Amino acid sequence: MPRRQRYNPRRYHDDDDEDGYYSYSHFPPKSVPRKVSGGIRAQSQRGTFGKSWWAQRWIKVLESFNIGSRLSRGRSYARNGQVLSVELNRGMVTAGVQGSRRDPYKVTIEVATLSRADGEKLGKELSAQPIFAAKLLASEMPQDVETAFTACGLSLFPESLGDLKTKCSCPDWSNPCKHVAAVYYLIGEEFDRDPFLIFRLRGLDRDRLIKIISESAGAQGESEFDHEELFASDETRSEPITTDAARFWDGGDIPAGSSEMELPPVVAPLLKRLGSFPFWRSERRLVETLEPFYDRASRQALRVIAGDWRRK
Amino acid sequence: MIILHAAFFGDKFHLWGESPASGPEPSGRRKNRVSAESDTPLSPYDSGRSAIVSRLAEAGVDISAGGKKQTTLSILLPSTDSGPLASSPLIAPAPDAAQEAALKEWKVNSISLKPVDAIDLLSRCAGKEMLAPGLAVGKDLRYWVAAMQFGAGLVVRQQFLPDLVQNETKLKVGFRAVWEPVLSGADYDRVLKFSSAMPHLCRASLFEADSDHPLDAARLLKDFIAFIVDYLVRSAHSTQPLIASPPIPANSGSIHDRWLKALVSDDGMLTGSREECERFAHQIVEWRRPVFITSSAPFRLCFRLEEPNGAESQSGDLSNSTDDAIASNGRDWTLRYLLQDVNDPSLLIPAESAWKSRGPRASLFKKRGFNAPEYLLSALGAASNLCPPIEESLRMPAPDGCDLDLSRAHRFLTEEAWLLEQAGFTLLLPAWWTRKGTKGRLSARASVKSPKLHGAAQLSLTEIIRFDWQVSLGGETLSLAELKMLAKLKTPLVKFRGQWVQLNADEIEAALSFWKGRSEGKASIRDLVRMSLGAGDAKGGIPVESVSADGWIGDLLAGIQGRASYEEKAPPKDLKAVLRPYQLRGYSWLKFLRTWGLGACLADDMGLGKTVQVLALIQRDREEGANRPVLVICPTSVVSNWEKEAARFTPRLSVMVHHGIGRRKGDTFSKEAQRHAIVISSYALLHRDIEALNAVEWEGVVLDEAQNIKNAETKQSKAARSLNSGYRLALTGTPVENNVGDLWSLMEFLNAGFLGSQGEFKRTFFLPIQTASDPSAANRLRKLTEPFILRRLKTDKTIISDLPDKMEMKVFCNLTKEQASLYAAVVEETARALEKSEGIQRKGLVLATLSKLKQVCNHPAQFLGDNSSIPNRSGKLARLTEMLEEVLENDDRALVFSQFSEMGEIIRKHLEENFGREVLFLHGAVAKKNRDRMVERFQDEKHGPPIFILSLKAGGTGLNLTRANHVFHFDRWWNPAVENQATDRAFRIGQVKNVQVHKYLCAGTLEEKIDEMIERKRGIASSVVGTGEQWLTELSTDELKELFALSKNAVAD
Repeated sequence: MPRRQRYNPRRYHDDDDEDGYYSYSHFPPKSVPRKVSGGIRAQSQRGTFGKSWWAQRWIKVLESFNIGSRLSRGRSYARNGQVLSVELNRGMVTAGVQGSRRDPYKVTIEVATLSRADGEKLGKELSAQPIFAAKLLASEMPQDVETAFTACGLSLFPESLGDLKTKCSCPDWSNPCKHVAAVYYLIGEEFDRDPFLIFRLRGLDRDRLIKIISESAGAQGESEFDHEELFASDETRSEPITTDAARFWDGGDIPAGSSEMELPPVVAPLLKRLGSFPFWRSERRLVETLEPFYDRASRQALRVIAGDWRRK
Repeated sequence: MIILHAAFFGDKFHLWGESPASGPEPSGRRKNRVSAESDTPLSPYDSGRSAIVSRLAEAGVDISAGGKKQTTLSILLPSTDSGPLASSPLIAPAPDAAQEAALKEWKVNSISLKPVDAIDLLSRCAGKEMLAPGLAVGKDLRYWVAAMQFGAGLVVRQQFLPDLVQNETKLKVGFRAVWEPVLSGADYDRVLKFSSAMPHLCRASLFEADSDHPLDAARLLKDFIAFIVDYLVRSAHSTQPLIASPPIPANSGSIHDRWLKALVSDDGMLTGSREECERFAHQIVEWRRPVFITSSAPFRLCFRLEEPNGAESQSGDLSNSTDDAIASNGRDWTLRYLLQDVNDPSLLIPAESAWKSRGPRASLFKKRGFNAPEYLLSALGAASNLCPPIEESLRMPAPDGCDLDLSRAHRFLTEEAWLLEQAGFTLLLPAWWTRKGTKGRLSARASVKSPKLHGAAQLSLTEIIRFDWQVSLGGETLSLAELKMLAKLKTPLVKFRGQWVQLNADEIEAALSFWKGRSEGKASIRDLVRMSLGAGDAKGGIPVESVSADGWIGDLLAGIQGRASYEEKAPPKDLKAVLRPYQLRGYSWLKFLRTWGLGACLADDMGLGKTVQVLALIQRDREEGANRPVLVICPTSVVSNWEKEAARFTPRLSVMVHHGIGRRKGDTFSKEAQRHAIVISSYALLHRDIEALNAVEWEGVVLDEAQNIKNAETKQSKAARSLNSGYRLALTGTPVENNVGDLWSLMEFLNAGFLGSQGEFKRTFFLPIQTASDPSAANRLRKLTEPFILRRLKTDKTIISDLPDKMEMKVFCNLTKEQASLYAAVVEETARALEKSEGIQRKGLVLATLSKLKQVCNHPAQFLGDNSSIPNRSGKLARLTEMLEEVLENDDRALVFSQFSEMGEIIRKHLEENFGREVLFLHGAVAKKNRDRMVERFQDEKHGPPIFILSLKAGGTGLNLTRANHVFHFDRWWNPAVENQATDRAFRIGQVKNVQVHKYLCAGTLEEKIDEMIERKRGIASSVVGTGEQWLTELSTDELKELFALSKNAVAD
């Protein structure tokens, strides 16, 4: 169960409140947020946020603001599901956070996007090593992607406070406030899952990145692709129904089975490859909750094939 | 007769059936049955719902439990002016070729099945043409069965993801949480091939389609597979809830909570505003994108592993010089990246040209809407996680492959290639690599010295013997020096005398220990036999390549493996038959295996004389001093036949028939059994009287028609396995080796434990062979079973050169109890009448009685003429059905003659209901045109009807039916000339196969007695007997009474 954190002098060692007791001057206006159901709950339930180095790089910027216990309150908010929604677009994050008032506060975080010229410079650098794009497309952060940025005199992450513009509709005089912090932490956690989000936030979405890379690889950017069409291209033309008796009643030869018929060595490989869902809002973790289904369904299906399936 | 069909649409499986129209004219019926609400007429062949439900219930399929829903389907069927065409001649005769068919809409009554019932029904239909007598599985339904198995395969391999799909109904737009199959790589290819094999009937339902825009086969198949996958995953939850506490009401919580809940709910419907659901559905698409982009592109990344060039002089090659080999890890292997066209897998495009945006390749890609660079980047990105060298290669622009050193290449072969394949990529690996490693492996050879033998009585398979191990690599014996050198090499792959072989440290360790004098092993001879047939490993997991032995064990192994021909035995003295050469070999083979206590299955074609080979074996054993009885278990319908054959071929063996109501029980039975050489009983009693049967120590047990124990779970099979017996023998005329599923039960009876437990068998043989995933499994199984199954085909002239062109056999059948009491009634009535009649009247009476008794022997329904039920009332018909089943399984063709056209009709109906195949029937009322057409279809049509029934009068002369190689005389015309003339329909110019003539007789009835009389008169010119049956009327009253009297042994029930 998530904990509700209240002021308690005997618990000042608690990491969620590490500076709450002493740094009196930073103590935010005391308030108790309204309880929410169906909010986005952070995966991290204790300690720091963000497992990957890139998520940590992101969070470091926030923590360089001197906003005292708002950081820990922000973490509690994130963990308790006070954030109701997060939408991440080019250069801008908008979110709703439930505080003590009836209406949720509106939070925005603006991040500087890359200019067209910067984008092209970067594209050249990235296309020299396809590993960058390949990893990103597979939802992974390439190890030394930053070298490509520094080579162009750019930075992937906001480096200083000046690179971020944050806003919140709450009455707190401090900016960033705990609501901004809560959203910020959650974004960091999502970066763990899909590093492409950082690029998207910086104005380099998937399609643009691909385009930049293939253009720089010597290609002329003549091909515009419709991805929906790509996915639809597997449809075959429907053959008209015939009156030919053999085709109508019997059909053709069914191809013999050729695939492995064993349980995979790892349970739910596809699900694990995709990982959790962006801004997941449930008490139940997606992968952990669904994993047992895979194993059980596998065994049930094996019985169907072996002819041992009997309905219960 | 019902042929089951099914349509799939709207996430529902709709079952309907086709039956012969019961009215006189299909078109006349149709007019009366136009349904009220629309103009679409009801198909005259519609089975109706209640008929389907009750027939299914009889077959043990209960579809009413799920609360069946009644629906009416509109389907397009090829039709002529007189109505729709039928799927099979079983329903209605095929139309004139001249008549042009067009698609027309018809209604049929259908039952919409719940998913659980649909899967239950489909899995019961697997591998069957008939679900039960009179209930055929339509081709379209069989197609759905295959599609279901494919879907289940995806679930086994966990190729599915949760999803959210829009669910549009007329009333509103809803969203459903579903489990979606992910079709990638080879699965995708299969779906394409699969969809082009779909019978058009599957798409002809007019729920969503119209004739101009029919349902797309690929779309429909994918929908169906998705339906199966979704249900199998969803229902895995309902058996034991996985999301239980804390309970969440379906309509509260976040959309994610509601989605999880809906993924396991019955209908999967997701509550929420349309906008919220749409946004969420879009997010799911984004989330699934990394899997999707690699699974649905028109081209697919393909990896080809290439050996180092000019490998001969390379290191890693352990040829003659040991030093060469130690300098391992020389030149690199190459892993090449290629793009493979999904529609044409033979088209492979090197990645090199795929990176370029100009050139012929680029325009090909563009035409197919394929973004090659994005796909390559995504796919290589995904692959790079599974295989580090791929990741390295992505450090350079436009990579087209990567280099692997020897150990990396090995790792690629053993681990990474598998992972990549499972992730949906195509792998092209060297031919010498198999799923289990290199073809050449370190293997062990056992060598055995046979211990001294003190007389044959000592032979026992359980005896433990010692042997030595030797080591070989890729089929070549290894010296100690070579082995040591390999150990030092520490490379997993070595080129040894020109071929790549795989090595691992444990195996080398075990192999070295063989050399260091610790190479002795111990095993029973039985295990040694298994080892020599390729089952079982040596120490360290090294497979056993061969077992060599000298002395008598060597003889044993050589005989079993068929390397040496087993000693040909002289036929027993008291056998009253001359064994043909192949029979002598079969008998010697039986004797050989029997001596070792190994079970044997004699699976010769029908008519090659399995019985006489077995009788010869029993006779020979007796002559050699065996004194315990042999138990023969056979179907009730052949009990008499066994008795007759034994009396004919081995008259010195005393035979006891354990059958019927008056049979002996308990101690009396065992005592009596001990006093006979052969005890004949039936499968029905095998289970019922098992206690009594088990009280006897049998010399041997023979199962005739051993397909009766193909299901290991039945009481009969279990009883058969429990019998105490010196040796075990199975006889069958069907190709047992073709049906892998049935093989375990048979082998377990013959040689218990040889194929492992039933579970092991399923894992190591059944599933791999069934799903064709491991081609070597079928070979290994064959190697293990081959030595115990002997099957000779009469068409194989190299083995059977001495078979006469025409073989006549009598088939002795039993009467059922009902037949016997009818028979007795007729005889009694006649006896009274005979006393009083004379002259013409007497002749008439005799002929009438003959005819009545023949009818009783044929079938009670024929005698009574009451159109009553057919199954299980006639011994002859039961036997005919069994024998024809064998004929069909061997793709042979048969003529069946009867002198009664009423009987012909009964036979036709019965056979069609049982086999679900059209049976031709020619009788006096068939018009000339139809008659010619029947002959033509039987003779010339490639997949024409294989069984042709003819009335003796209509078909006994003139016709040329040489495609038949079996002729059955269901009843007898007591005049050999007439019978021979009929037989000659098949046996005349143009016949290339030998013809078997089966003459049916009911044992203990007048049929047998008249037959004996004819045999006695054979020498006399046929003129004496005349052309009719008149001669019988000349017999005296006493002779006639004796002729008509029913012997005790006539009934077997």
